[in-house]
Amino acid sequence: MAERSQPSANYRNWPVITALTIVSLPLLLMYLYLFLDTVTVKQADALLPSGLTINHWRFLWQTTEGKANIWQVTVNTLLFAACTTSLVLIVSSMAGYVLSRLNVPARGFFLAGVMVLHAFPSVTLIIAIFIVLQMIGLYNSLLGVILVKAAIDLPLGIWLMKGFYDTVPWEIEMAGVVDGASRFRVWRSLVLPQVKPGIMALGLFSFLSGWGEFILPQVLAPGNQVQVLSVYLAGFLADDNNYDFNMFKAVGVFYLVPVLIAYALFNKYLMNIYGGGSKG
Amino acid sequence: MKSSRTLGLVMIAPAAIMIVLFFLMPVVLTAVFSMTNMTTATGISGGVYQIAPNSLIALKSAMPDIAAEMAEPRYTIDDAGLKAVEGLGLAPGIAAELRAKHTGEVFPTRRDVERMIKDLAERPSTREVKQISEQFNRSVLNTRFDSKEQLFSALDSLGFKLTPEQKETVARVTYTGWTWTTDNFSRMATSPDMARVLFNTVLYVALVLMLFNVGYALLLAILTHYMPPTPASIFRGIWLLPRITPVVIYVMLWKWLAWDSGFISILMGKFGYPPKNYLLDNAYNAWLFVVLINGFIGASMGMLVFSSAMKAIPKSQFYASEVDGASRWQQIRYIILPQMRWPILFVTCYQTLSLLASFNEILLATNGGPGNATEVWALSAYHTALRNYAGNLEYGLGAAMALVLVVIGVMLSLLYLRVFSYGTLVAKPLIED
Repeated sequence: MAERSQPSANYRNWPVITALTIVSLPLLLMYLYLFLDTVTVKQADALLPSGLTINHWRFLWQTTEGKANIWQVTVNTLLFAACTTSLVLIVSSMAGYVLSRLNVPARGFFLAGVMVLHAFPSVTLIIAIFIVLQMIGLYNSLLGVILVKAAIDLPLGIWLMKGFYDTVPWEIEMAGVVDGASRFRVWRSLVLPQVKPGIMALGLFSFLSGWGEFILPQVLAPGNQVQVLSVYLAGFLADDNNYDFNMFKAVGVFYLVPVLIAYALFNKYLMNIYGGGSKG
Repeated sequence: MKSSRTLGLVMIAPAAIMIVLFFLMPVVLTAVFSMTNMTTATGISGGVYQIAPNSLIALKSAMPDIAAEMAEPRYTIDDAGLKAVEGLGLAPGIAAELRAKHTGEVFPTRRDVERMIKDLAERPSTREVKQISEQFNRSVLNTRFDSKEQLFSALDSLGFKLTPEQKETVARVTYTGWTWTTDNFSRMATSPDMARVLFNTVLYVALVLMLFNVGYALLLAILTHYMPPTPASIFRGIWLLPRITPVVIYVMLWKWLAWDSGFISILMGKFGYPPKNYLLDNAYNAWLFVVLINGFIGASMGMLVFSSAMKAIPKSQFYASEVDGASRWQQIRYIILPQMRWPILFVTCYQTLSLLASFNEILLATNGGPGNATEVWALSAYHTALRNYAGNLEYGLGAAMALVLVVIGVMLSLLYLRVFSYGTLVAKPLIED
């Protein structure tokens, strides 16, 4: 996106572009065929399709034997991603403000702790939580997975929100406090609107991460009633007996399209996270 | 003012509670579980005492005589047996005499008890002797006892004369629940499988990190830096796709590429090669794909960090160098790379931790195969504790393996906090009225 940083003409762009295109070819092919294969018929050993069909999308109106209903699964996934996102947003926008502006005991310790927590491998949490849920008999519920997923995303969320609050000029708060508003009100109606880009970025990030989450639901909530799309899809993949790769891909597209739409609409916010926002 | 502090505590409370409950507590519990021999077989709640054949085998090495005795049935003249004899409908004198003269006696073998029965005043027939003796057959084998006391009283009533130490040994080997132990750690330290997994992990992290997360990401960032805006953003968009695609779909795409009915097989088929599963057919291919699959995801983050860092380099430096006749390679060598030191360090640190803990992609792509070729530490912990082929899930060992990752993660991140001068990150808040 940078404007051209040098006007010199002793190099051409096309060799570089060609080289990069070749390197990117596996990705391009995979995504191209992902969409193509869901709506076309192809002979077993052919590279190019020979006709159009909507047969691969039949999972939308008929439920495969022994599998969960796709709409139920989609609702679960949406519920899972949305609940996780709201929880992360609410909790970390409060905690981030405290860490950025208010003087609480053990503030430095909390900040360092959050940074260290971010480095914890999720496999640790899964094993322990699995054993605990088995012990108390609360295995296989969506609520448990939501809480765990939100807790895992929290350290990043708190750091990110703290970073955004740090950039808000404090005159705004001063003015509010001088006019007699409480600190809570100042936060709620003056500061929060200032960090909207951060909230958008974090919200989109956690929605995408919740929507794509696989291992937590797979271990903690594998039952048909609470299944999410990633687990549903992985179940297809493991089922060697009657696998139908094209239908599998159709489910994949069904699962991927919301991600692509959300990304296309909001990518400039997301860049805040990926491009350095997470540096805290 | 006091209110600000109270408000701070109230507003941070939800985060603190969630982190303690669902983050810190599991980590602490992992440490606790790692000190146990918890498996599916022992269960996760308390166990019972059971003298099963396998516990006798364990007992044999410590106390061979007692183990042999326990394997055999014993004959005890007790109330329950006497009642049963009365119910057999034999001559009433038999039961009465047994009750009067022999209550509480214990006979170590069938021969002994039958000799005693034959000597009774009523002189039962041989068939009756067998019937009667059967009523007093008391074996400890395969009986469940809920507590140590029950086990010991049963042993006492059967006439086993054991010292307290011997009793403790018996209790220990017959306990079916989990116990505290440090075996997990010694097993990790000595097992050759673990050494292999450790080697895999180091290889995996090093390869993906150097080739893709840093190397390729830097290349991509430099190349797109010099490109006109449109192709640059197209390429950045393409290389971000793996990161935003849900992992299950992303890995499925690679499988489609590499499976025996997949793209590469069909393509190679056109040149006369038989189709095969390129992903799993040998260890080298599996490694190639594991590195590619994870590398393509990892490249995006480095690319974004490096691109934004490069954008921050003042343009004047490029113009000045060009006036001096610098080639593009010289610009990269003397302007870009020196200023990339911090971003590269940051990405290296951050991604080392991510790679150490990540196992989703490998789980879905090769599941550690072929054989154990691509089994890395985190995946191995997952397999040990939550999904293994033997069916006996070793929670304790898995937790111990996970704990190793936690310790490495904490040590590395403390080191990074030092490197990235933690002090500047936690400077005092602006307003603290």
